[in-house]
Amino acid sequence: MVTKHKFIKNILFSLLILVIVLFAVFPFAQMISTSLKYSWDWGNPSLVPLKINWESYGELLGLSQNIKDLPESVQILLEETPDLTKEQKEAIIAKYRDTGDVFPFGEYFLNSLLFASSSAFISLIIAILGAYSFSRMEYKGRKVIQRGVLFVYMFGGILLLIPLYKVSVALGLAGTQGGTILSILIIYVVQTLPVCLYMLGNYFRTIPFSIEEAAFIEGLNHFQTIWKIIIPLSISAIATVYIYAFMIAWNEYLYASVFLKSYKDIYTLSIGLKSLFVSKNAIWDRIMAASMLTALPVVVLFLLIQKHLTGGMTSGGVKE
Amino acid sequence: MKRTLSVLLILALSLPLIFANGGKEPEPAVKAGPVEFEFWTTETQSDRLATIQVLVDTYTAINPDVSINVIPVDENDLAGQIQAAAAAGNLPPLIEAPSETAVSFGTEGIMDTAANGALINEIGKDKFYAGTLKLLQSSTGEYYALPYHGWVQGIWYRADWFKEAGLEPPNTWDNILKAAKYFYKPDQNQYGILVGTTAEAYTEQCFTQFALSNGAGLYDKDGNLIFNSPAMKETVNYYAELAKYNPPGPQTWRARDYYIQGKMAMFFYSTYIMDDLALQDAAAGSLTGDNFADLAGSTFDPELVNNTKMASQITKKNPAGYGTIVSMALLKQDDAAVTDAAKSFLRYLYTQNAYITFLHMAPGGMNPTLKEISTNPRFQNDPNGIFKHYGADKMAEIIQGMDSIETFSIVDGKRIEKASKVYAQQIIPQMLYKITQEGMDTDSAMAWAEKEMQKVQ
Amino acid sequence: MKGTLQQQQARLGVRLISPAVIIIGLLIIYPVFYNLYLSFHSVKLSGESRFVGLSNYAAVIGDAEFWRAFLSTALYVFFTTVGTTLFGLIVALAMNKEFPGQGLVRSLLLLPYIAPVISVVFAWQFFFDPVNGIFMHLMVDKWGLYAERFNLIRSPQYALWVAIIFSIWKNFPFTYLMILSRLQAIDQNLYEAAEIDGCTGIKKFFYITLPEIYFVLGSIVLMRIIWNMNKFEDIYLLTDNVKTLPIYTYFKAFTGALDMGQGSAISIIQFAILISFIILYVKKVLKW
Repeated sequence: MVTKHKFIKNILFSLLILVIVLFAVFPFAQMISTSLKYSWDWGNPSLVPLKINWESYGELLGLSQNIKDLPESVQILLEETPDLTKEQKEAIIAKYRDTGDVFPFGEYFLNSLLFASSSAFISLIIAILGAYSFSRMEYKGRKVIQRGVLFVYMFGGILLLIPLYKVSVALGLAGTQGGTILSILIIYVVQTLPVCLYMLGNYFRTIPFSIEEAAFIEGLNHFQTIWKIIIPLSISAIATVYIYAFMIAWNEYLYASVFLKSYKDIYTLSIGLKSLFVSKNAIWDRIMAASMLTALPVVVLFLLIQKHLTGGMTSGGVKE
Repeated sequence: MKRTLSVLLILALSLPLIFANGGKEPEPAVKAGPVEFEFWTTETQSDRLATIQVLVDTYTAINPDVSINVIPVDENDLAGQIQAAAAAGNLPPLIEAPSETAVSFGTEGIMDTAANGALINEIGKDKFYAGTLKLLQSSTGEYYALPYHGWVQGIWYRADWFKEAGLEPPNTWDNILKAAKYFYKPDQNQYGILVGTTAEAYTEQCFTQFALSNGAGLYDKDGNLIFNSPAMKETVNYYAELAKYNPPGPQTWRARDYYIQGKMAMFFYSTYIMDDLALQDAAAGSLTGDNFADLAGSTFDPELVNNTKMASQITKKNPAGYGTIVSMALLKQDDAAVTDAAKSFLRYLYTQNAYITFLHMAPGGMNPTLKEISTNPRFQNDPNGIFKHYGADKMAEIIQGMDSIETFSIVDGKRIEKASKVYAQQIIPQMLYKITQEGMDTDSAMAWAEKEMQKVQ
Repeated sequence: MKGTLQQQQARLGVRLISPAVIIIGLLIIYPVFYNLYLSFHSVKLSGESRFVGLSNYAAVIGDAEFWRAFLSTALYVFFTTVGTTLFGLIVALAMNKEFPGQGLVRSLLLLPYIAPVISVVFAWQFFFDPVNGIFMHLMVDKWGLYAERFNLIRSPQYALWVAIIFSIWKNFPFTYLMILSRLQAIDQNLYEAAEIDGCTGIKKFFYITLPEIYFVLGSIVLMRIIWNMNKFEDIYLLTDNVKTLPIYTYFKAFTGALDMGQGSAISIIQFAILISFIILYVKKVLKW
């Protein structure tokens, strides 16, 4: 009886896991399906393509190198423009051919990665220090600050956009690429910092004092304690918070669309994807393929982190 | 301790800069010439941007003192981006914008009407189609922008289905409604017509054509609100009836895919669809003989392009067409040198070769506002063969239609600026959404709209 | 001049928190006052502005659309918060057990959270498309559960609920991760002791698990309320027919009338509502 009971329990449990997984991934099935369909197949409700179409992936990854034809009107334009040297003409043509039909996926991806990882990293460092201060030290105004940081979120991001852009322009930051990068990073840090502080503060409070006391007796100062005791013990919470901060910057569209507009070299994926969407020609296969390619590397990245994550958790052994 | 902290902070703050430059040498933001400016275009597709870049590169090659940064801005984001730039005081000197948008920005006082007017005179006022210029004029006769290209809208329909059913082309209210009813077969997942029912510009565009054909307007020539008229009410009721034969739920132009998939008989669309259908034709090319066998159950029609026709005029009391002019606008700047450079570049965009290069990015969708270009044989020899396919007469009709575009904001040749604001605030589309989607009755929805219009100053 | 150990501690504490406070303060104070200023003015794009007193506030409060947006926001925030937290809790409890293939399942569950909003909304729209989507195809043609096709994702009567489910789908991974990391820190001895006392699964959950994760749940709920109250992209990009306050603000300030004055007034009102709610919540639930 016991085994039968357990068997049913196992079945139910597996079913639960299956339902959860299906709920999580169903839109991705749609994504894969559409990315592999030919345009004449889009009206077909089935998720299975009638004929597999790899073109969109090839195009996004730059595998299919078909040289773009120079439109006749452009040719005539260049031929009939006086005062244009041969070199200038060739340079213009080369630039035209170089501009792909779709967005430079790899470059945008890298930009997004850099923005997201560095803003999350900065946010994390500042938050670890702040959260340690919250949870371990007594001083005047601590509670006020602790609650106050959450204020940042109580104002909708939409209306912070214009004043922040105004400030960035007034300081001359928005006028240069480096300044724009700095502005966006600071904004992302501010958007994520309160949650990082709050979450880490809550977590640090659950770490028993006794471990630190031992460290102080051995002569470690506060920074060493943070580095050697607090961080290793809360690595899983730190990782979760990092993921959070990373994803905020990774997803962000509104601020990026205003701040980065003038600097194509630092466009992020969300801007790139948006510009694919707004183009009025039907290119669903490429949009879906781009979405898949956007998600994949991040999944792999987290798969790798995760192993590390679970390892850290068990060996950390947060037990009293 | 303080030092450690500051070191950490500096490290944290400088890290991203190191990162950001590590991947790839960023191209220096062009600083070759003494004058540098941004040109915001609403042509966001990459192939069109590449062509615009050629125009910019050619211009700057001849004028090495000028550098131009082309910024694609989606039409729907334009207002927000302008809002941000205006607040920050770094508005671009040159933007591309639909005429109604340009006018609504103009009433906010950010357009350089003197520069726009001067350039129009320089090119020659009589060289433009008069109707297109009128759309960009303020009530005092100044120009908010210059008309650059335009499209007209119409009902695109399956001529083969109509013929088989023995129906008349959809060019009158009765014909349209009859056909919409006839082809509406939801149990077979087939729909009669597509008219806009969401609260956005597309809905206003579809509706305006019906209203104009019924002689219904928003304001009289003295600027008095005459929205609540029997003719307007009749139009609203008719539109609501028509919307019943739409695909389910609120719909917008994106649903034109259903037509391409053979699930819809008629839809409102601009002449841009000519280009899209031509692309569809190209897509059909990927169907080899073998694949046709698999397609047995699918609805794709490789003959779609040939079976599609357009009715550009709708008749009730009088025939009416509708379209949109896309304009180029010079915005107020602090630095006169920037305005001059932007003006000179815009002047260049109107020269024959540059102009035709621009228009050929979307044959059918982009039509000239200069008379001499529309009859230019080079313009008519477009890369997608649209002129050949639809015939010179049809194309002439389209361009003719552009010259006679009517809107609610021009009454008897007088600009009613309040009507442009009503357009910008999307009061009519919101009203139609309330009626068709939220089940509000016509009278209360019209009363709501009238109240909103009264608030507009 | 070292002072007492306590004073030293306090000084260090202030120093550690100051980078966060400075960076947040600098970036938030100006915009807040800017909005406050705008809410009392009527502003033109050209920069002209005119003091209008409370008329922006009066216009907002007198507008039925505002109250509808307010109601939508309340529904949206309530159901997304409850849904995300409950579902996150269930998933966390399930994932706290060991089973084969757990690593893969964990990564798959992260997918909704890490895919950019803008890339997944289109898959949702495709899936629920009334004419071409597989959902309606199954419901109507295959299984005959409904007599006719309808527009689940855009029609006003359903769109809010789809937006709520979308938000739950998108955000449950974060919630479950937060809960899970707390669950795994619970002392196993507590459960062993409970078993000896003869406690069953459900009892164990209510007497041990729930109290242990109470504060994590409390703060997750708090964060969700604050976030979802201001959620913009998740709704705006998914469906155009759900008007919550941030979207209503966007339409007021960034499209059409470009009325920054009223937009700012809305956000100040929203701020006031949110802040009073939060203070109440923090006092009653989190007992700070």
